[in-house]
Amino acid sequence: MSARSPLLEQTAGGLYWLLLAASLWLLLRGHNAPGGGFIAGLVAVAGSALLAIVHGVERARRRLPLAPAALAAAGVLMALASGLPAVLSGQPFLTHLWGSIAGLKLSTVLVFDLGVLCAVWGAFSAYLFALLADGGDAP
Amino acid sequence: MTLWPAALPLAAFSALVLGLVLQPLPWAFGVPWVPSLQLGLDFYVDALSVQFLLLITGIGTLVLVYASAYLAHEENPGRLVGTLLLFMLAMVGAVTADHLLLLFLFWELTSITSFFLVGFNHTDAAARAAARQALFVTVAGGLALLAGLILLAQMSGTWSLREVAAAGPQLAADPRLPAALVLVLLGCFTKSAQFPFHFWLPNAMSAPTPVSAFLHSATMVKLGIYLLARLDPAFNHLLLWEGLLIGVGTVTAVWAALLTLRERDLKRILARSTLSALGTLTLLVGLPSEQAGLAVIAFLFAHALYKAPLFFIAGNVDHATGSRSLDCLSGLRRRMPWTAAAAVLAAASMAGLPLSFGYLAKDVVSAAKAAGDLVLVAGYALLFVNAVAVAVAAVAAIRVFWGPLPAQYAAVREVPWRMRLPPLLIAALALEFEFLPNWVDPLLMEAARVVVRGEVAVPLASTHSFGTALTAAEITLVVGLLLFLFWEPLHRVVGRWEWVSRFDPGSGYERLITGLPRLAAGHTRALQDGRGSAYLRRSVGALLLAGLAAVGFGGYAWPPPLPATGLHPLALGGAAALIAGGALAAAFLRRRLALLLAVGLVGYASAVLFLFAGAPDVAFTQFVVETALVVVASAVLYRYAPAPRCPEPVLRNALLAAAAGLGTLWLLLQMFALPASGELPRWFAEHSLVEAYGRNVVNVILVDFRALDTLGEISVVLFSAVAAWPLLRRLRRGAGP
Repeated sequence: MSARSPLLEQTAGGLYWLLLAASLWLLLRGHNAPGGGFIAGLVAVAGSALLAIVHGVERARRRLPLAPAALAAAGVLMALASGLPAVLSGQPFLTHLWGSIAGLKLSTVLVFDLGVLCAVWGAFSAYLFALLADGGDAP
Repeated sequence: MTLWPAALPLAAFSALVLGLVLQPLPWAFGVPWVPSLQLGLDFYVDALSVQFLLLITGIGTLVLVYASAYLAHEENPGRLVGTLLLFMLAMVGAVTADHLLLLFLFWELTSITSFFLVGFNHTDAAARAAARQALFVTVAGGLALLAGLILLAQMSGTWSLREVAAAGPQLAADPRLPAALVLVLLGCFTKSAQFPFHFWLPNAMSAPTPVSAFLHSATMVKLGIYLLARLDPAFNHLLLWEGLLIGVGTVTAVWAALLTLRERDLKRILARSTLSALGTLTLLVGLPSEQAGLAVIAFLFAHALYKAPLFFIAGNVDHATGSRSLDCLSGLRRRMPWTAAAAVLAAASMAGLPLSFGYLAKDVVSAAKAAGDLVLVAGYALLFVNAVAVAVAAVAAIRVFWGPLPAQYAAVREVPWRMRLPPLLIAALALEFEFLPNWVDPLLMEAARVVVRGEVAVPLASTHSFGTALTAAEITLVVGLLLFLFWEPLHRVVGRWEWVSRFDPGSGYERLITGLPRLAAGHTRALQDGRGSAYLRRSVGALLLAGLAAVGFGGYAWPPPLPATGLHPLALGGAAALIAGGALAAAFLRRRLALLLAVGLVGYASAVLFLFAGAPDVAFTQFVVETALVVVASAVLYRYAPAPRCPEPVLRNALLAAAAGLGTLWLLLQMFALPASGELPRWFAEHSLVEAYGRNVVNVILVDFRALDTLGEISVVLFSAVAAWPLLRRLRRGAGP
């Protein structure tokens, strides 16, 4: 970009982490209050978009846990996997199981929702990077 | 090339004969597959099937023997032999299948293998075109056949060909019957090259000789006749069935006989006369009398036994002299005595001379026509057809092999044994059947009983009588010989008739084949102009038309009731004002970035509306989506140069946009007018916390109650990104830095 904003450049890195934290928060509260995997994923995409616009696609790509397409695929696989324990225990696929470890309520729902987050984050980042990139390899 | 491939059909032939001796007909066997859907590999072999099986395996053996010599100089004869064997398998399947879908499967397999066989000389453009034509015509007919068979199965409640034929008389009252019959007839007529689909057969003569002898005279083209004969006992009392068979059969026979006189190429002459024989067979199937059943069987058998040798002979002549044109062929008897002998035997049978199997067949056919009280015109027409057959026989035997030997053929050598033997053997066999009728008589009688379903009283051999039938045969012979003597002047006269080629449906096929791509090109030019706004206009316009059509069906509420929103008027008014402002700004703004922001405003204001309407999740999502969209779109817009501005039909766009907006509004209001059931929301609200431990019903539905849907949706998201990637990469390359 030709018109650079020093303010944005200084804060973008911090904002990215803040947005990811917000995304995680939305994911965790989603079961009882507005939020959930899809919205969390979109917020994470917004973070990646910010980074890509200010610091370039390459840096935003490096900050992702995996390459965009791989992240999306991992998300779908995670959601798939969250349904398997139920099958193993003889219940229909995607029947969610709940348990608690040390007072913390955990369930396969969380795995499923995390999968949704990753799928949305990875897939839309792939679009985003492809549109914003000047060149480079596959997402 | 080796003779080994011929061992396969020979083994099948021997097994068949052995089976006939050991095990009385019929044979039925099947392998169930999906019994609940009545699907299975069901086969049923009766005398009619056996007649075809004997022809397929018997002539098939000799065809492969012939091919082993004929293809000696070909580059890859294995391909042809392999396809021929596959074709034989398909034919065997088609004439033994009892399940209608199985029959269709094998039927199509014969079309497909025939495509590869006709197009064997794939470097020749004419062969390619002929293969394509044969495929188009027979496969189009095959589609019609499939629809017809499905209808028949639905009406009779069974997929068994035998049971459908048995149930035929009870189906007469069904209103679907005419459609089913016409569809089945389309399939049979295209396969057996009946008028107006006959044109593919002569063109298919660009196939190598063994293929022509096998597919286009003895077996494949008889498949349509086979199915007609199978179904005839069920439907021959219907005027539609009888009329179509007799009418189409007669027209085919006469038209083909006329076209025969226009040909110069020996192989094409034989092909035309095959057409005329197929027409006669169709006509005979359509005749109501019991005699006709026997006539079909006898004529079908006789035709295969004389036409296949004649094709072999044409191939031999072509092989030895390099020509098939009547203009230069004569006197070859001196150079090719064996081939000449075979030609005389086969031609005698074709002409129906006494002491030949063809004579017997012709005798039965005449008797059938006499008994079938044929319309007088059709009777005379068939006299002409038979006379032309006599003339063709004379041309193939006398004209080519007698007379002076042209100097250029002085050094011509007789073809190898493997090519001499098959025509001689088949033609001699046909002769044998006349002297030893006990060999085939019982089988043919049995087959005839399948076709007419009843007692066939007259045995084949005892129909020798000096009644009117013989007189008709004599008249045919005399007229045929006259035609032969005046072949040249007749050829010139008929060749001058321009209307014949103009009227022939083959030219219609040409127009269709060249017209279709032109239509597609014009259609593409008119609709696909590559401008986004034009695509948008067409899509919206089409949607509006669909909506208008739906309005035409009625059932809508007028005036549409306004839904009670329960919103605070200030919130509603504020959000509405923001949406309207954003929309108006988008309509009038010119700069792309400002336009994007205005559209974003519409989205944000909608989110505000959702927020007040008690849908915080939707509002939340809308906010995030809108933000991401505006940020990304502005970054992208910033990067890519604007497209050159084109003049736009502003007024039309505005009208279409307004109509689309109002139409959507109308649709939404109508949806509100529908009685809404509160059952689902209540159920979800009650069970969300109890069963899924979540208070956010929307999210619980997404991740738990309807988790499978969500899984599908995120998979779509993933695959859309993967699919879009190559497109986006190309866009970037095209757009430059």
